[in-house]
Amino acid sequence: MRPVAFICLTLLACAPLCAKEELVTLPKRDGVQLTIYNSEDLTLVRETRTLSFKAGENRLQFSWANTLIDPTSVEFQALADKEGNLEVSDTSYPAESHEMLIWTITAKKAASHQVQITYFTSGISWSAEYTGLVAADESAMDLTAYVTVHNRSGEDYEDAEVRLVVGVIHLVEKVINLAQPATSRAMDRKEMEDWARDAPNKSPSGPGRGGGGGMSKPKQIDKAGLSEYYIYSVEGTETILTNWSKRLRSFSVAGVPLKTVYHLNPAKFGPEFTKVLEFKNNEECKLGKEPLPDGLIRLFRQSASGMGYMGALASKYIAKNDEVKISVGPDAEVTLKEKRMSFQKKDLTFNQRWLEGWTGVETFELEVRNFRSKAIEVEIHRSFGGDFDFNSEDKAEVENFNTRKFILSLAPNTSRTLVFSVTTRYGSNVKPK
Amino acid sequence: MKLRLFAAALPTALACAIIGLSSPTPAEARIKLATLPDREAVAVRFDHPNQVLVEEERTIALQAGVNNIDFSWAGTNIDKGSIVFRPAAADSKVEILSTSYPPGENALTWAVSSPDARSEKFRISYLMGNIQRETSYQAMVSKDETTCSFKHYFKIRNWSGESFAEADFITRDGKKFEKALSQGEAKRVLVNKWDNVKIKKEYVYDLTRQYEGKVLTDYVLVNSKDIGLGQIPLEFGKVRIYQDDGKGTAAFTGEDWGRFTPIGDEMRLNIGTAQDIKVEFKKMVNDVTNRRGNVYDTDELDQYEIKNFKDSEVILTLVLRVDGEWEMMKDASGFESFERMDNETVKFRVKCPPKGAPVLLKFHYQRKDVW
Amino acid sequence: MNYCSRWLWALMLAVLAAPALQAKEELVTLPKRDTVQLTIYNSVDLTLVQETRTLSFKKGNNRLQFSWAQTLIDPTSVEFRALTQGDKLEVLDTSYPAESNEMLIWTISAEADVSARVEISYFTSGLTWSAQYVGMLAADEASMTLTAYVSVTNRSGEEYENAQVRLVVGSINLVEKINQLAGGERERYKRDAEGEMRRATRESAGKKDIVKEGLSEYYIYTVGGTETIPHGWSKRLESFVQAGVPVSTVYTYDARKYGAGLTKLLTFKNNVEHKLGKEPLPEGTVRLYRTMGGNALSYVGEVATPYIAKNDEIKVNAGADAEVTMKLTRLGLEKKDLAFRRWGGRAEDQSLEGWTTVEDFKLEVKNFRNKDVRFEINLVFGGDFDFDSSAEASKVDFQTRRFAQELKAGSSTQITFKLTTRNGTNVKNR
Repeated sequence: MRPVAFICLTLLACAPLCAKEELVTLPKRDGVQLTIYNSEDLTLVRETRTLSFKAGENRLQFSWANTLIDPTSVEFQALADKEGNLEVSDTSYPAESHEMLIWTITAKKAASHQVQITYFTSGISWSAEYTGLVAADESAMDLTAYVTVHNRSGEDYEDAEVRLVVGVIHLVEKVINLAQPATSRAMDRKEMEDWARDAPNKSPSGPGRGGGGGMSKPKQIDKAGLSEYYIYSVEGTETILTNWSKRLRSFSVAGVPLKTVYHLNPAKFGPEFTKVLEFKNNEECKLGKEPLPDGLIRLFRQSASGMGYMGALASKYIAKNDEVKISVGPDAEVTLKEKRMSFQKKDLTFNQRWLEGWTGVETFELEVRNFRSKAIEVEIHRSFGGDFDFNSEDKAEVENFNTRKFILSLAPNTSRTLVFSVTTRYGSNVKPK
Repeated sequence: MKLRLFAAALPTALACAIIGLSSPTPAEARIKLATLPDREAVAVRFDHPNQVLVEEERTIALQAGVNNIDFSWAGTNIDKGSIVFRPAAADSKVEILSTSYPPGENALTWAVSSPDARSEKFRISYLMGNIQRETSYQAMVSKDETTCSFKHYFKIRNWSGESFAEADFITRDGKKFEKALSQGEAKRVLVNKWDNVKIKKEYVYDLTRQYEGKVLTDYVLVNSKDIGLGQIPLEFGKVRIYQDDGKGTAAFTGEDWGRFTPIGDEMRLNIGTAQDIKVEFKKMVNDVTNRRGNVYDTDELDQYEIKNFKDSEVILTLVLRVDGEWEMMKDASGFESFERMDNETVKFRVKCPPKGAPVLLKFHYQRKDVW
Repeated sequence: MNYCSRWLWALMLAVLAAPALQAKEELVTLPKRDTVQLTIYNSVDLTLVQETRTLSFKKGNNRLQFSWAQTLIDPTSVEFRALTQGDKLEVLDTSYPAESNEMLIWTISAEADVSARVEISYFTSGLTWSAQYVGMLAADEASMTLTAYVSVTNRSGEEYENAQVRLVVGSINLVEKINQLAGGERERYKRDAEGEMRRATRESAGKKDIVKEGLSEYYIYTVGGTETIPHGWSKRLESFVQAGVPVSTVYTYDARKYGAGLTKLLTFKNNVEHKLGKEPLPEGTVRLYRTMGGNALSYVGEVATPYIAKNDEIKVNAGADAEVTMKLTRLGLEKKDLAFRRWGGRAEDQSLEGWTTVEDFKLEVKNFRNKDVRFEINLVFGGDFDFDSSAEASKVDFQTRRFAQELKAGSSTQITFKLTTRNGTNVKNR
């Protein structure tokens, strides 16, 4: 059985000599806001409550049994206290409990204050997913972005304002390690990710509790930049129970133009001749309002017979104006063949009748055939080793010191043969430049 | 038999440094029973980087002649060799003759000689183990990322075995706060707060800090009066950085270890990765030249294609490394300034236009006499 | 009853009346010790005990039994010597009875009935002494009050009451360890002897003087009066106090001794200028505290120091001080004078066999403290090198150069130097 997790705030009435501590009833949370990070297992929880303070010292106890809260992160702040009535004189972490702290708060005069308590917790994460419905001619797609929040924190968050942070923050210590000392429930990052990946399947199909259920239109997600990050704020409030996941639609855009390019680029797409769908996160592509957080992009093809799965890409963060290339694997309708047409050795040099230098001259043919009924673009990277000279009648660009690049277009049902020769010097023939 | 007066007087004697007078011998009990002297003032000092010094004062009623004063500390982590015992007054007539250590006990006996019957105030200082300290900071950065409010916290955890009913805790920079701290308890206090501290934001691609091609976002603050600090050296500690989100709340934007920063020095804090700035490296030329047997020179062109996808221009600092003897060529291009920080390390500042327009840093150099 | 007999039978001395045919042993007298002197060495676990007793001897053969159960006495070292009436007494033999390895019997022939003062001496282990030093630095760290202590610890199994204590500073050579000769450490009995502790300190109400004198390669410290140290106890006594000992602070870089970075060293000398130098300082622990306002202390550091001869220097490592920093940067590297071994006319018919590197370094020292400091930076170079520097450097040894400077409060300094190193065949014939 799962231990019951609870967060509890108690105001301790302190008799003049602290002879006896008395529990004062406390109001519920006025509001709770979750700021969930996706680069780290970290969520900033901000809750507000209204409390009455006596003049003098007040002791406020905050406890969080069976949760994944980082005790070093718990902060108290009085809201709208311009005169500075409240002051935290210390924060005490009692010896007997790892899951409790007591603030000693000095109030100049008796007053009621709205206070804010913030802390880090682990166990809540979010992820992005994208679904692209590609038109039959592959010229455009309808792109829908989702965000899914996963709660494994041990705490139910009801009617919470949810904010998602896109960006890679720097943490020097993991929150999960700062939270409770190794409980059986604590998941490490990998477990967390495994769980999050499967979570959508686990989540019940019926309407969840709170905000999501029964609404006629999807909630808006507001996006705003902050320093190097973007903050996505979900409209209204959400209720996310522990061990549940909730998926929300971030945006949906129809008619995002697509470009199809066939690549031979072992460094990026592996050794195969690969079909790649490309689009840009910019205005021309009807996007570009915000960066696209890292997540899985799944592409489906619309056809007369229904939908077909095309491919998926675990995409990295896509900045505004940056481009996205989704490999959908080899395509039998476009082929590439490389043949070595000749090989010749020359300039053999000897040292006391031992071979010590030679030069190889090779010629190659690259044949690209487009069997499709539409024009295509092709990009071929070819790398070489050693001290070589490259020669081609066809236009080639220098990609880097040992790679040359051909870019070409092919009309429907045509083929093209690229010819190049490579001269490589070996041994003592390596050029003294 | 020796009288242990304190044993009955204090039920919590187990975990408490205690002090008592004992009569020299039962036969000649010249010294009458004395009440257990209370601690009058206790100071816990953190001015040594690793050690904690506890000082306490007690007033002891002395008889004329030799008095034996017992001090025992069962259950606590006092470093026996470090105990310094002396009269509080510099011109005291009292002399400390010897210190005796009984076998197998955390205790000692001072033989103190007094010219007459008197009340004398003594000061006892010792190093106490297992009192942990931790410095941490919170920086609340303004929306425009030019200033922050900087809070300095000091946290003590007491595993020493001793409970301090009331003590002055004194930090390295002389801040004093009076608190009670029981065994096992930890306490955190705000010791300093500085507002409107100026910060500088930098984007850094630094091959001495990362190899994955990431652009790091740093805040740099100088511990000087010019920017609103500069009062004390800043101790090593974790800095948690929040930023005002312009909606009345704040967002956590990262944390880093702040290294010990003396007055006048700078503290650099990495808050995270700038994902909107991309750097792609390509080696465009990699030639061997001037070959002499096993010795050669090289001609190399390293190209960094930088794309800034932000809506405004930024300056990117690139810190790159080349080993051995080398020289940058005059046709290297694409940068605002260049600084050779040491023989192996160079720093470029590159102006990056907004919205993803690429800029090429062409770092052309030749290495000499490689083998 | 003597407390001693409550827990062990230690050092019993008995004169046995021996009839002609030794038919029966008879206990005659049990004389007490008149005096006992302990000479304790700190370099080895060794103490020389010299005790005197007054004994009555009958004309003829006297048998004197000496036993030392539960102690750490070396049986081979026990010696008998008559201090008076020596011409009338003669030790005929010393026998070690089979039934006990903790006893011996001297057969002593007396020419007449005499009463004589005799000395019995032996070595024991288990008595040790050590030195401790406490330095109270003035707030400005420019001087200190140095107090030296000696601590005597008794784990010998025997209580030496009212003993005169002498401490030997210096190392002597022993071929066998005393506690091995004594049959190893024996199981000790716990006893309540605390009350006995008091007796010695009651004798005088003043501080004990510790008199120091030289003897051959050793120094002997003699503690004034007598001391009683029960088994298991240790006792610390003040050896001397010296106020106003000048101390200098040097931030030192010496990677082999102190590791990376600058280390704060507080140094003083055991000489007359430093108000010391009257005797060598035995090895021990030096703890330094700094006095703050109002008699408050601050802990500075401690070091285990070796024996410090007169005029020798003491350096107390006060650890790294993050407020004084140094940074060594190699600004440039140039290779020159490449020498090749050739075996043909072509470019590849050669191999490098000698070269010279020229390296430019910058050494930056920053003082973030609000007081002037002194630094000493020792740099070690390898091989055949030339060293050329912008600031004065002294040659410590063939491969070490030292920069020593004052640095004003809140300032920094930059020293540049050029290091030329010849390698391979370029190494000069020296």
